[in-house]
Amino acid sequence: MAIILYRAFRAKLFGKYPFFYSYLAVVLVAGILLGFVYHPNSATYKKWYSVANYPTMLLGCGIVLEIFNHALQAYPGASRFARISGYIVFGLVFCYALVYPSLTASSAHTGTAIEFERDLRTVQAIFLFGLLAVISYYRIAVGKNVKGIAMGYGLFIGTSLMSVALRSYIGPSFYPAASFVQPLSYVVCLCIWTYALWSYQPNPASDSTIRIEADYEVFVARTKEMLGALRSQLGKATRP
Amino acid sequence: MIQLILFLAVGALLLSSLFLFAGRLVQPKAGEKEIFDARRALSSLRTELLQPDIVARIFATEDLDYVNSSTSEEIRRMFLAERKRVALLWVRYLRRNILSLRRFHLGSVRHHAQLRFRTEVTLAVEFAILLFACRALEIILWIRGPYVAPKIVRAATAGAARVCEISERSLGFFGPGSATPLGKPSAGNHATL
Repeated sequence: MAIILYRAFRAKLFGKYPFFYSYLAVVLVAGILLGFVYHPNSATYKKWYSVANYPTMLLGCGIVLEIFNHALQAYPGASRFARISGYIVFGLVFCYALVYPSLTASSAHTGTAIEFERDLRTVQAIFLFGLLAVISYYRIAVGKNVKGIAMGYGLFIGTSLMSVALRSYIGPSFYPAASFVQPLSYVVCLCIWTYALWSYQPNPASDSTIRIEADYEVFVARTKEMLGALRSQLGKATRP
Repeated sequence: MIQLILFLAVGALLLSSLFLFAGRLVQPKAGEKEIFDARRALSSLRTELLQPDIVARIFATEDLDYVNSSTSEEIRRMFLAERKRVALLWVRYLRRNILSLRRFHLGSVRHHAQLRFRTEVTLAVEFAILLFACRALEIILWIRGPYVAPKIVRAATAGAARVCEISERSLGFFGPGSATPLGKPSAGNHATL
């Protein structure tokens, strides 16, 4: 982590990816401070680990925002699509969070730290998945830096979510496996970030020569008409 | 348990999307290529794939009748296998061209700040249905062969001209170079681009 921050300093990347490096800096400082009280079975360590975990998890949301900003900056259409999708997903998650506890009132819903982490990781995973889907759907080319940030953080979030969900469900018997899988995924994540963020690699410039000169509505209407024609023909075709 | 499965599914979905994301190849300056591909797709649809005489030749029952009446069973089997292969190639090529048109649409609207979410979702669904229909047609041809449903093929090709005309108008948005109608066969050599 220190190497990544050192390279960011040398390559002047702090200003380019502020959310990402803020996250890394906080995680590094928290890690150093936690090192002073480290003991595997120490209650003090566990308590301070939980305290440090909240801000880093919340700052992790900034990484998703960073990917969004950099990947879709040059594509206002795709950016708008991703933003609206994000609002809808947020609304759905919010409704789920409101409704689900009332549906499972009878079951044990303790609202522990591990459940909070699991839920937050789920939200981050859904947003990151949606963002990657939009980037892939609109065939947007991203640079090595942004791709690395997304790959590393996605890997960490995905494995953390699965590990935390299993920990939450199985209980302490899963802790040994989780204590191996999560640090391993974080090491892999750091390796990806070190490789991808060694130097500044911006996103490839979008092709500004490809701009729709006519109105969007007209363009869409024609695409729709074309689709309608194709659909009707193939609709007839697939009928016995 | 259901909750656990949901969380694991979300995690697995993210990891698999990362796997695909890592392996994808996108040309940074794909814009001109997208237009070129879209024009080529239209040209193919108009001059090759959906040309009535070509389609009629691929699916001509007269050929089958002739083979049935004057050749052995083995030759008949070979003929059917070959025709099936050609029909499958035809429908796969058709699908590839529809994909190319979709790429063109997405490559264009991603720059458009006035993009409408609902419209784009509808279009995405419609493209998906069309591609699914093509795939279904492919499966039908693969299972039942090219001669089971001549109506299917006739219907699939009948709207070709209309589709191509509309697509041409969409492509007409781009620059003076595209003012000339595309995809129409030229005088003698079919050089359309």
